[in-house]
Amino acid sequence: MTDQRFDSTVTTTCGYCGVGCRLEAHVRDGRVVSISPAVDGPANLGHTCLKGRFAHQFGRHRQRLTTPLIREGDGFREATWEEALDRIVSELQRVKGEHGPDAIAGLACSRATNEDCFAMTRLMRAAIGTNNIDNCSRVCHSPTSYAMRRSFGMSGATGSFADIDHADAAIIIGANPTEAHPVAGARIKQAALRGMKLVVIDPRRIELAEYGVLHLSPRAGTNAAVVLGLQHVVMRDGLIDADFIARRTEGYGALTELLDQYDPAEVERISGVPTADLEAAAHIYAEAGEACLIWGLGVTEHKYGSETVQLICNLALLTGKVGRRGSALLPMRGQNNVQGSSDVGALPDTYAGYRSVGDEDVARAFEAKWGVPLSREKGYTTPKMFDAAIGGRLKAMYIFGEDPAQTDPDTHHVVRALESLEFLVCQDIFLNETTKYADVVLPAATFLEKEGTFINAERRIQLVSPAMEPPGEAKTDLEILMTVSRMLGHEMGYTCAEDVMDEIAALTPDFAGVTYERLGRHGLQWPVAPDGTDAPILYEREFDLPGGKGHFAPLPYRPPGSEPSDEFPLVLVTGRRLMHYNAGTMTRRTGNLDLFPNDVLEIHPEDAERLWIGDGDLVSVRSPVGRIEVEAHVTDTIERGHVFTAFHFPEVRTNALIGQSVDVNTECAEFKVMAVDVRPVQEAPSRTPALAAGD
Amino acid sequence: MTPTTVNVTIDGTPVEVPPGTTILQAAQTLDTPIPTLCYDDRLDAFGACRVCLVGVEGAPGPLPSCTTPCRDGMVIDTRDATARRVAGAVVELVLSELPTAPAPHTELAAVARELGVTGTRWPGVEHVEDHDQRHPYLAFQHELCISCGRCVRICDEVQGTFALTAVGRGFESNVAAGLDQGFRDSACVSCGACADTCPTDAITELALMLLEPEPVLEEVK
Amino acid sequence: MSSKNLVELIRRHHELDAPTALEVLKVAVDDHGTVTDDDRRVAAERSGVPEAFVHGVSTFYDDLLQPRGKRHIRVCTGTACFAATGDAHVDALRAGLGLELGTCRDDGEVSLAETVCLGFCHSSPAIRDGDLIDAGPGAVERVLAGATVAAEEPAPVSTLERPVLTEPTDWSGLRRALTQSTPEQLLEDVKAAEVRGRGGAGFPAGNKWQFARGAQGDEKFIVANGDEGDPGSYIDKVLMEASPELLLEGMALAGYAVGASHGFVLTRSEYPRSKPALEQAAADARAAGLLGDDILGSGFSFDVTIVEGAGSYVVGEETALLACLQGLRGVVSARPPVPAERGVFGLPTVVNNVETLSNIPFIAREGAEAYRALSPGATPGSKLVCFNERFQRPGVYEVRFGVTMRELCEDLAGGLRDGRSIKALQIGGPLGGILPGHKLDTPFDFADLAAEGCMVGHGGILAFDDQTNMRDVARHLLHFGADESCGKCFPCRIGLRRAHEMFSNGAPVPRDSLEALLEALELGSLCAHGGGMPAPIRSLLKHFPDELGLDA
Repeated sequence: MTDQRFDSTVTTTCGYCGVGCRLEAHVRDGRVVSISPAVDGPANLGHTCLKGRFAHQFGRHRQRLTTPLIREGDGFREATWEEALDRIVSELQRVKGEHGPDAIAGLACSRATNEDCFAMTRLMRAAIGTNNIDNCSRVCHSPTSYAMRRSFGMSGATGSFADIDHADAAIIIGANPTEAHPVAGARIKQAALRGMKLVVIDPRRIELAEYGVLHLSPRAGTNAAVVLGLQHVVMRDGLIDADFIARRTEGYGALTELLDQYDPAEVERISGVPTADLEAAAHIYAEAGEACLIWGLGVTEHKYGSETVQLICNLALLTGKVGRRGSALLPMRGQNNVQGSSDVGALPDTYAGYRSVGDEDVARAFEAKWGVPLSREKGYTTPKMFDAAIGGRLKAMYIFGEDPAQTDPDTHHVVRALESLEFLVCQDIFLNETTKYADVVLPAATFLEKEGTFINAERRIQLVSPAMEPPGEAKTDLEILMTVSRMLGHEMGYTCAEDVMDEIAALTPDFAGVTYERLGRHGLQWPVAPDGTDAPILYEREFDLPGGKGHFAPLPYRPPGSEPSDEFPLVLVTGRRLMHYNAGTMTRRTGNLDLFPNDVLEIHPEDAERLWIGDGDLVSVRSPVGRIEVEAHVTDTIERGHVFTAFHFPEVRTNALIGQSVDVNTECAEFKVMAVDVRPVQEAPSRTPALAAGD
Repeated sequence: MTPTTVNVTIDGTPVEVPPGTTILQAAQTLDTPIPTLCYDDRLDAFGACRVCLVGVEGAPGPLPSCTTPCRDGMVIDTRDATARRVAGAVVELVLSELPTAPAPHTELAAVARELGVTGTRWPGVEHVEDHDQRHPYLAFQHELCISCGRCVRICDEVQGTFALTAVGRGFESNVAAGLDQGFRDSACVSCGACADTCPTDAITELALMLLEPEPVLEEVK
Repeated sequence: MSSKNLVELIRRHHELDAPTALEVLKVAVDDHGTVTDDDRRVAAERSGVPEAFVHGVSTFYDDLLQPRGKRHIRVCTGTACFAATGDAHVDALRAGLGLELGTCRDDGEVSLAETVCLGFCHSSPAIRDGDLIDAGPGAVERVLAGATVAAEEPAPVSTLERPVLTEPTDWSGLRRALTQSTPEQLLEDVKAAEVRGRGGAGFPAGNKWQFARGAQGDEKFIVANGDEGDPGSYIDKVLMEASPELLLEGMALAGYAVGASHGFVLTRSEYPRSKPALEQAAADARAAGLLGDDILGSGFSFDVTIVEGAGSYVVGEETALLACLQGLRGVVSARPPVPAERGVFGLPTVVNNVETLSNIPFIAREGAEAYRALSPGATPGSKLVCFNERFQRPGVYEVRFGVTMRELCEDLAGGLRDGRSIKALQIGGPLGGILPGHKLDTPFDFADLAAEGCMVGHGGILAFDDQTNMRDVARHLLHFGADESCGKCFPCRIGLRRAHEMFSNGAPVPRDSLEALLEALELGSLCAHGGGMPAPIRSLLKHFPDELGLDA
């Protein structure tokens, strides 16, 4: 019997994290009134978390943008679409005319669909004529993408979440899945309770550590040393898979020389991880029949984050634990479509499928399809865009579904960049920290209001279906982008999101067999062959590199970009809370705020006592680039010498503390290590943070 | 040596299943519906509600299909008169403990309809109304709890948060979050799995409680 | 099987010598009379069981629920006490103390609670005042006068030439097995002896052992079920308190045969002397090298832990017993998996009744044939039976199977006192059928009693005299049944409450709906509690229909 409480039920894919839960959205009177998990969702198996299930009321929040806005003095006035679009087109054409196409840049939205992101790349590449396009994987898993392409060949998990159910052991490094990826976290916890030996490597005693067999707590910024130490022990104790190394890898010789230096004593000196624990962890992993390696932003958001991911890949290659059921390397991708936005080419250097913009054949194929000449020059990455704006080379930006003024590092620097622009368009569902600097704001649609696809952390392309209409004058992102492009003189010619995916499939070998019909209820994991066969497990026979060999990376440990000093004696680590999501744009406009109303700074009892800080006290946190005030929470779940907070609350402005230090290969910011000074605020608190240091 | 498959007959249709398959699971492969109140295929079988009883040739009485493994040669009758009679009586007992009729969308209402149960022969003391709406999303209506254990088990076996427990004993059994602190102040992570699996709305989404009531079907209570 | 995850958490904490949640809560209630949220938090922290589940445990067991004053008085409302006084002793205590059952005086000085049963059925009524149990005529008056005295314990008597269960052991059964038998041979002996479980179900012990022996598991356990909850029975009480070493030897033998090196005994909190008696016997055995590592130089190691329950009848059911043993709510689990496959800590476990295990030393010492010869032409071995206070010579007797109920009741127990006659017998506990007084020639054995809708059960023989009202018996039994339902399966949880309401609301009992309810209980219930409660009611319907107040 159908449930008479609802007019209809639409199966779609969650728009929060990278797990990719399939959801049933129940609609009554044109509104989503309830969401339940799809029992057949391959990544969620009938489960979901409080964000996916409950935090959907934001879509009808009174602050929702329902009409275009144009700047007028310090504020905005409502405008018609015609007026707003005319303004955008004339400004973009002016800037392009005066300064060339490379004076314009776009940011695509990793929360939006692949189709939206692909259209955004086409807007920038074809309608404007620049490769200045990036997405927020820049500040999360770009190091993972970089590293996995170099070690194995492809930018994505080597297996699936289902591998967790088949693993005898797992190591989780720098990830807190029960808060940041709750459905995957729950699955890992169940596996650990069933007997999967779980090793947690994290300076915080995360919830999963309580269910694991071992918790290594290295000093922030020393992951690489720990992973090198694990490899050292594996090699020293004869736990390598020599046959696998011989048949399927390259570069082993250089690695062995390097590993000699990282004996457990040396690793203990660098990281603080006791020798016995390091040895036990190495044995647990190497001696397991099947074992997974799982990591998150605690690995990537470092100065040498990409290199650490390469070292993690080494560990799998040394032991032959890749390309089999139960032995997967699973980066926990942060956002619902941060995998897909990169896969479809919202990057300054690659087209869809990670093919270089300089690749002549690829560029020609796109030129043939789009009917315009395309630039062969790499565009700006996000940090470079801000530098270029401050430097006067970048004049206009089109920011779609991102809030870099809250989420990107060194808020002060970002704000300066935004203020330097001649013209800024924001396309979003709410006003945010970034729209404060916008000239035009366009009202867009949420994931419950549009059609398309997301790609989750296991490379699974899944359908997104509209359950309701955008409110007021708001429009879907695809419609907006197509209209802007048309007015700029480039007709995309799509009639619906499916047309976009057909074009992606036609232009991208990894997507060759993708059709909406084939995606169906369960999606497909790329690469998808022309006949529709997908790939739950990669590299079963060979790696996607020349000769089919996996590459060992002989990379040494190098210290982080920020280290504690007399002036800044503690290390700030940032991350997420279960109840909130990223900039909090959505979750702060739901009942989740009631469950977690304001953020806190976690600090170890010994540090707190030394600094005269009590639980609940307001403290000042100062780094070389900024200062914030936040309430302290004294807890022994964090390692001594470290403090932790999240970045969900604009009133806290955590990212004002983060500096310019970035990953050496991908420019991903070093969010996870920032030396800070923490002290009690004596007088009545002012919640307004200062942006400059030293005040 | 363990056989690799087991052959049984369900309502006259032969079916081959792997060893360890329960009668209920085997019936599901044939799309043969067996009503249940405490079963959820995301969870281990529990065997509490006794509504999924079936007849098995040679057995001294009806067997619970959710916890009985198929054995080679079993002849199973899901429409067995005794089994249906007992199952119907159990649903009557369940209706007798609730102060109000189950809402039409609930699994309990569906099972009652399926078994043709419209009232109870055993009126008696009912559960006392006791609501908890402190949480922004989840509400307890304790008087609707039939102690099927699904909420407690999904919080344990799927979410792994262990925020819910059965409390009390016998007829007074119910569920509680944490030290009876409600969802808000317990270890609950608000995943909502309990509300999703609850067959009576004893745990439900607050937003859905505020929707217009459905037309109550007359045949139930 | 309780939640796999909880059992795993408990296993991990047990390896670290953590106490169970129930143990911590029991200590708390002994210390300050009630369980507070702080106690629950401490219990969660120490046991590794999540807070919510500790809360669930604290709302399950009688001992944790009833408020306790400085002086805590527990009045036995078991069937023997009911048969003796018609519950007049309960009323007298309530009036004398000015307290309702389950309450505590405001000044915290005195509290009164109900308990079922104290195992002084030979000397009803029984009242527990602190840890002192007074029983028999004058007990109420003594307790009210603050002059409680300890009642006398019965000494078991054997009718057999070669007693199995009523004499102390010299551990020669274990010595012999360890030196002359392989585990396989011992197992074969126990199977050949055809030992049927003495707890009630009568399942062959050898089969359980065989299954557990063959089951996969890093470790295996022997559990002695000492949760003798049947009102009217005090057989295991006598075994555990008068000859505990017999049980310990039986457990060690079971461990040898099955491949287990650790055992648990679950005793009742209603029998406060059982746990200390067993612990003393275990200490003595350890000192004599009969328990512990490398027993008698054989290489075989075995030791025991004694765990006390907290007041729940259904915990006598083996899956509920295992839950209680691990400190969880004592609810029944569906089988499979059986305990022999997944028991304590999820590992293979043999659960045998105390009396069953106490039979094993004889078999190990004398052999299966000698054992079988004890009851010629009937179920092998001997059986302990016990009689309630209504009899002239109540007590625990070791008897052969196959003797008639008349021989037992008249020759052995001397018939009823005060010139009363036997109106009916309830045999084998509250789930046993009721045999009317005119059927005393029925033999005492499994099949013969079953033919009369009765059972051997655990061996309690409880007489109702000619002045008993059988509707009151029905109400009494159903009150017990509904109160003790664990609440897991629906027929028992709701159905026993409804059945009790039918007999207690003063209205005529509609026979059709009663019969339908009994069918649902009998065929629908998960365990023998709900499944067995209809048996005595059916007996009453058959033999005493006119007394039940049925509608026309």
